[in-house]
Amino acid sequence: MNEPTGRFITARTINRGFGVAPALAKGIGVTSVLALIGSLARVVVPILMQQTIDKGLQPGNIRLGFIVQMSAIAAVSVVVAAFALRQAVLRLGIGAEEGLYTMRVKLFDHIHRLSLADHNEERRGALVSRVTSDIETLTMFFSWGALVWLLDGSLMFVVACVMLAYDWILALVAFAVSAPLFLVLRNLQKRLVAAYDLAREHNAELLGSVSELVSGTETLRAYQAHQPMVDRSKRAVRKRADSQIRAGVIGAFLFPSGEVFAVFTIVAIIIVGVFRGVDGGLTAGSMVGFVFLTYRFLEPIAEFTEVVDQTQTAVAGLRRVLSVLDTPTGPQAPVNPIELPNVPLSIELREVSFSYSSRLDSQDDDLPVLRNISLSIPAQQHIALVGASGSGKTTLARLIARFADPNLGSICLGGVNLKRIDNDDLRRRLVVVPQEPFLFAASVAENLLFASPKSTREDLNRVIDQLELTDWIESLPKGIDTYVGQRGSSISAGERQLVALARAALTNPDVLILDEATSAVDAIAEVRLAKALQALSQGRTTISIAHRLSTAARADRVIMLEHGSVTEDGSHEQLLQDDCEYAKIYAQWLSATSTGD
Amino acid sequence: MVSFVDEKPVTEDSVKSDAKGRLREASQLLRQVVRFHPRLFVIAVSGATLFAVCTVASSIGLRWMIDRVILVRFERGEVDLFALIVGSIIVIGIGLLRALGVVIRRSFAGKTEWRTCETITEKVVDHVVAQPIEWHRQKMTGDIVARCGVDADASVAILAPLPFSTSVLVMMVVSAGWMLYVDIPLGLVAVVVFPILLTLNIGYQRRIDRYYNLAQQELGDLSEAVHESFDGVMVVKSFGAENRETERLAKITARLKDARIDAIGVRSIFEAMLDAIPTLINIILITLGAYRVKAGEMTVGDLSSFIYLFTLLVFPLRIIGYLFSEIPHSVAGWRRIREVLDEDVFEDPATKILNAPMGFGIDLNGINFSHVNGAPILKNLTMRVASGKTVALVGATGCGKTTLLHAVAGLILPDSGSVAVQDGGVALVFQEAFLFAESLRYNITLDSDISEEQISLAISIADCHEFLKNLEQGLDTVMGERGVSLSGGQRQRVALARAIAQNRPILLLDDTTSALDPKTEARIIANLRRISNDHTVLVVASRPSTIALADEVLFMAEGHIVEQGTHEQLLQSSEQYRALITAFEHDRKAS
Repeated sequence: MNEPTGRFITARTINRGFGVAPALAKGIGVTSVLALIGSLARVVVPILMQQTIDKGLQPGNIRLGFIVQMSAIAAVSVVVAAFALRQAVLRLGIGAEEGLYTMRVKLFDHIHRLSLADHNEERRGALVSRVTSDIETLTMFFSWGALVWLLDGSLMFVVACVMLAYDWILALVAFAVSAPLFLVLRNLQKRLVAAYDLAREHNAELLGSVSELVSGTETLRAYQAHQPMVDRSKRAVRKRADSQIRAGVIGAFLFPSGEVFAVFTIVAIIIVGVFRGVDGGLTAGSMVGFVFLTYRFLEPIAEFTEVVDQTQTAVAGLRRVLSVLDTPTGPQAPVNPIELPNVPLSIELREVSFSYSSRLDSQDDDLPVLRNISLSIPAQQHIALVGASGSGKTTLARLIARFADPNLGSICLGGVNLKRIDNDDLRRRLVVVPQEPFLFAASVAENLLFASPKSTREDLNRVIDQLELTDWIESLPKGIDTYVGQRGSSISAGERQLVALARAALTNPDVLILDEATSAVDAIAEVRLAKALQALSQGRTTISIAHRLSTAARADRVIMLEHGSVTEDGSHEQLLQDDCEYAKIYAQWLSATSTGD
Repeated sequence: MVSFVDEKPVTEDSVKSDAKGRLREASQLLRQVVRFHPRLFVIAVSGATLFAVCTVASSIGLRWMIDRVILVRFERGEVDLFALIVGSIIVIGIGLLRALGVVIRRSFAGKTEWRTCETITEKVVDHVVAQPIEWHRQKMTGDIVARCGVDADASVAILAPLPFSTSVLVMMVVSAGWMLYVDIPLGLVAVVVFPILLTLNIGYQRRIDRYYNLAQQELGDLSEAVHESFDGVMVVKSFGAENRETERLAKITARLKDARIDAIGVRSIFEAMLDAIPTLINIILITLGAYRVKAGEMTVGDLSSFIYLFTLLVFPLRIIGYLFSEIPHSVAGWRRIREVLDEDVFEDPATKILNAPMGFGIDLNGINFSHVNGAPILKNLTMRVASGKTVALVGATGCGKTTLLHAVAGLILPDSGSVAVQDGGVALVFQEAFLFAESLRYNITLDSDISEEQISLAISIADCHEFLKNLEQGLDTVMGERGVSLSGGQRQRVALARAIAQNRPILLLDDTTSALDPKTEARIIANLRRISNDHTVLVVASRPSTIALADEVLFMAEGHIVEQGTHEQLLQSSEQYRALITAFEHDRKAS
């Protein structure tokens, strides 16, 4: 935070955080007053000592009644303060939790609505950490840092007031002698944070090294090549231990420095006090009181210095959270939606261009992915998109599904511009089956119901029957209630595809966009998939992103993309007759899958 | 076959089984981990003792100041310069010694903790590396890494606060003695109060930990759900389920929030109580003390130092609760470490490999092998491959091809039967290439002594030179997260180059070239044939074009070799083989 406006930006960030989650700031005034009352308990003992020594235990004049009376008052105030403290901690904690809850839910909603361009693999991890670890830094702050600012802040304020009331000169002496502590602590704190950062880095290195040793164990065994890897891991272990120890030593010096300063401050107070004597209005009791208060005064400083770093971390976390909320969401909902006509839907692209420009963080791959594409796809036609990887097939499909809007040009579905169609309406009529279909860690049935939560068991069975999948479902251990595992990992890739097709069929869409899987599936699953696909695409406008040219050969029409432009367009047979690129890649593909005889 | 069945992972619940067993386990843990670096530990405890003694002594310094300097000045009006100087020296001296005690205690406690951690991790690493592949297959990588990382950290976490708690103990004993010496009735009050405060603190810590653990579980659930939901964003968007997903996540978040608010409720009560109770006791001590002063049994200085000492003790008593919250954690970690260390190291199957008779590269005789769950994978499998031949191993998914290769490579130990290979050993290329986050050169040589010529030969046979040209640092390019990432096909080719560079007479390829495009695959197979005069190559293949390149085909089904012959012969003689090849060709038929 070197820039001059750093502090201003911090204040603005915090303010905006309050704006997003008003519960964070709600009633903070009352909470502060309660905290002030709560911290009074900490000065009760010094004051009682002072009163006892000065007024109760005068040599030759010991007034026990007075002392008992004072003690009773002290006890009552401690109890009152305890209640106030409890309320303050409770109010702050609940406010924080409510506020952070709101913030999280707002984030979920916003992130789900971000355009797919902001949702790629690289950024997924970042988005997850926004709602988990970044908000957690705020939780940590509110459960400790904010409490320290509030309670210790009140305490230092109250203690300073009592000190000044007893004797302002002694108070100033105490402040002056203990002031350098703050600098010492800040310095050590900074080193400590750096040392722990290094230790964390070394820890990650250690884990990375061991994990490589373990996951590469088959390779290492097969070649009897462990030793260098083991040595590397052990070096990492040692390095991590060294940096942890170093951090520990810095902490060891930081920890007692407050007490060292307390000792010097106490001696300074006593020396100055003794020389000033009674003439300055000082009493023996207030001297003793001062000694106690000095500890009370210095106690919070160590915590404060730690909390400064935590506060910075929390503000940085908040800033990252806000920056996600600032990222514009994906395709905007129409103001006056037009309902899709109740007939089979055609697709019309007019001079569509598109490039992924990142918003969350800047990247320089802003090259256009699609260039000036015009296409007219009649209702119920089956299209195969072919082309090398990176030619723009997937992007084109995504635009038709309105996962993003084109930068230039327009796309119409059933004659209605995509931008004018209500999202629910669009999703009922158009479904995408991605290459690696995503399944939730739930049963097959629950995964199907995700498409349409209101469907009944009969609906599910009907769809399964339509796609000729009944025998497959029955072969599963628990039929349709079989648990598919994390991301569907308990069933095979081919089976995941089958679930995804059934899920798509459940919504009975007019338009189907299929991103064909590249991964090999076994022969039986392959046959099932082909049948199910056939049944699913029957009577629907279908766009297949074809990785296997057998799919292209089956389509009504093949569209070849190269570098984001349509280069060839026609039926499979037509294109084969021309001496074009498609004919070439088809011949290549044919020879690779043949027996060579 | 040997079973390596893993025990159930330790959960918090099973740790809390019974109090007695827990105590025994905790004391066992302490004895065992302290023994790794006893010298460091003793130094740390000495520092802690110095701190404890000086804490009590500091109240004596204060008493000196009050009785001999402050009261003398304010009640009699005299400045006793000598007493002032001596008192200042005592107060500052004791304060510095006390700080020194803390520095020694903390530095050496940290040293003990991390050196012990280092020792334990090294032991675990050695043990894990010594175990054969089958042991590894039954463990999750993450689990083993956890044992080297978080579990080792957890089991030594007890070592850091241990010297501190000994110092609290010393402090309690010494100050109780001192307080009783100063004034018996007042001392008795304090002595009774210490254990009560201690119990209250430990009880609080236990209770709040339970709440925090609950909240932590909710957080784990939430982060899992968030991962899943964001990963599935495509499906969510496809079905317009954004609102439903937000609602689902909001429900889980609400559970987290409620768990945390419950914890705050408990915490706020205890925070207030732990603040108020010592203060109330202090007030009682002051009142009682006044009576004792009136009775002439103690001085004002005695009373003040008494209160002062009591105030100093409250903080350590409060911290000690943390120690107790570490124990179950450490015990669980140590138990998981012991699981690894106490396990016998199983025999390395590679030592059982025999020498094949002259003229044969591979000779398997009556091999049986079953999966851990008992399902047989290889059934009385016998096969021979003449040296110098290129042989394709063909079979449906799951018929045992990979297992067969692993048996030949000496990675797994057959239940019965013998494995013999040509002298000089085997180089196996796995189905999935594993590259280390090191240089390409390291990945090819695996740090063994291989000549530059041999490396460049391997590179050209494996068809790596094409993409190597585009790497600025060539063979010194570092792979992995912080380095360059290669495509699947490129990684396979590096793995192949590694196998060739090792220059072993037998080369096993487990469907290695399937990730390559057909042209590259054909080129590599041709390259391999060039060297195969002195190499025996056994290649698992599924592309008809690849199979056709082999001298001979071994057709495998249900754990044994059913036919052996050329591709054409088998197409003629075996209907089963024909069916399989047809399935491989399915795509072509479909068009």
